[in-house]
Amino acid sequence: MSETVEVFSPVGAEVVTQGKSAPRLETLDGKTVGETWNDDFKGDVMFPVYRELLRARFPGIRIIPYTEFPASPWKGTPEHQREVARHIAKIAKEKGCDALISGNGG
Amino acid sequence: MRPAVEAEKAGIPSVVVTLTNFVTVAQLAARAAGIDDLRTAEYPGAIGVHLPEIREKIINVVFDQIIDGLTKPGTGQASRAAGVFDPEEIVCRGSFDDVNRHFKGHEWTDGLPIVPPTRQRIEEFLRYTDRPPHEQVAILPQANLRAVPWNIAVNGVMAGCRPEDMPILIAAAEAIGDEHFNLNNIGTTWGITPYLLVNGPIIQQLRIEYAGQLISRGPNPALGRALGLIIRNIAGYRPGKNQMGTFGYPLAFALAENEAESPWEPYHVEHGFRREASTVTVGTTLNWGWPPSPYTRPDKSGAQSALELMCIELTKKPCLPLFAEGGPKGHISDVTFLLAPPVARALADGGYSKGQIREYVYQNAKVPVRELEWMMRYGLVEVQTVPGKVEAGLYPRDFLVGPDELVRVVSSPDIIHIVVCGDEGRNRMKTLDSGYTHFTTKEIKLPRGWGKLLAGRRA
Repeated sequence: MSETVEVFSPVGAEVVTQGKSAPRLETLDGKTVGETWNDDFKGDVMFPVYRELLRARFPGIRIIPYTEFPASPWKGTPEHQREVARHIAKIAKEKGCDALISGNGG
Repeated sequence: MRPAVEAEKAGIPSVVVTLTNFVTVAQLAARAAGIDDLRTAEYPGAIGVHLPEIREKIINVVFDQIIDGLTKPGTGQASRAAGVFDPEEIVCRGSFDDVNRHFKGHEWTDGLPIVPPTRQRIEEFLRYTDRPPHEQVAILPQANLRAVPWNIAVNGVMAGCRPEDMPILIAAAEAIGDEHFNLNNIGTTWGITPYLLVNGPIIQQLRIEYAGQLISRGPNPALGRALGLIIRNIAGYRPGKNQMGTFGYPLAFALAENEAESPWEPYHVEHGFRREASTVTVGTTLNWGWPPSPYTRPDKSGAQSALELMCIELTKKPCLPLFAEGGPKGHISDVTFLLAPPVARALADGGYSKGQIREYVYQNAKVPVRELEWMMRYGLVEVQTVPGKVEAGLYPRDFLVGPDELVRVVSSPDIIHIVVCGDEGRNRMKTLDSGYTHFTTKEIKLPRGWGKLLAGRRA
């Protein structure tokens, strides 16, 4: 057990190139914020609270509620999940969203 | 999370709201999809049971994190290509203990000692495949790392497999990398445990166990362990980071089909493979037990949901007629409920002590008499009846009622045990029903100088 050995890593090489995330906004005032919900973890209770607080803090804000997007999938095949996620992002773009709140994970 | 990643790629800043302990899950999943500085806002606590607190926690904790996530710069790096990784770089030189300490520190082990993956051992495994050592076998989510014969062999060595097991391990890596398997989604709080099934001539060639106690004998334990290590190290799943089973996981395991004794065609032939071919099938199971999750709803408190779920859990026991027996001649068994802290708090906040929980479950875990009768007639070795068991003193006399009448399945509140453990951010519970044993406690007697001994170990 005291013999010295040389050993190798069990992990694999990364294959995914890391992209840069989108620049943040200076303010949410006057911006359009979209919501996307996965139908879980009380999003139906939480998103209305965000809306109320956002409108109180940023009176010029416009909110696109999660009801105007497909539900964000955590079930279904990987291809289905990717497809719906891309579709949601496309809708967000089409609706002029400047930002997106996505929930609820856990 | 996934829509947020796609939104980021489309130039729309986003923030993902997650629950306590799930921030890392979201960030790792985003990184695997190509965004390594996903912004998150963490809701503190188990949202399922604590409904009245939601608004207050959003106002005091979550909302500012949402604003910061959308308006303040993160700490992520600029775009970068997938890193250069030399799998043949020596990562540790040292003794058996040094290697194990190093691997444990990097979270490359399953918590058990590993066989050091030396070049000699790895190359011995590589003799059992025609594939070049660094040829891609699969890309394994969630981390989307590349599985090649070399690192598959490393994990096989670590697990204690034999070199000749290599073809099985490669086929297993191919199988879990197939999108049909859906490896991307096994990190849920359900506690999903992977396993593999071997078919074909290789069973006899390599003496894979297929008969009694199969997962615990022969090469099977090491094969199962290797599957688990591949999922950890190449698929990137780690308990507490993105493998979130509330109460953790038993080791992955391995089966082989008893093809000679099966009255039907073997599994692999049924699924289109030649009889002469050998195959690996990978699957997962909730056999550690899908942990029920009590929720607070407008019409029922989390405490009441938890109590009723505990009762339902007991009525699903497979050996219910035995479990319901009491008295000195009765079948010995008990049940331990594991409660994650949020569930325990919901029960305590609802005014329930452990004793009151035991009493509630004792009084309310009931089934119709006909269910006991059916199990005894068709599901147990001896054909017995409810009146027969009452006569024998195994059931109480109040079981002598009509077939649709409900009877208690718990013989006494004293056979119910409650332990608080598991993910502090999750409203889940687990039922451990014993077989032939009672939960038994002994004091741990410490040696003289215990503190000094411990301090010496830590140094």
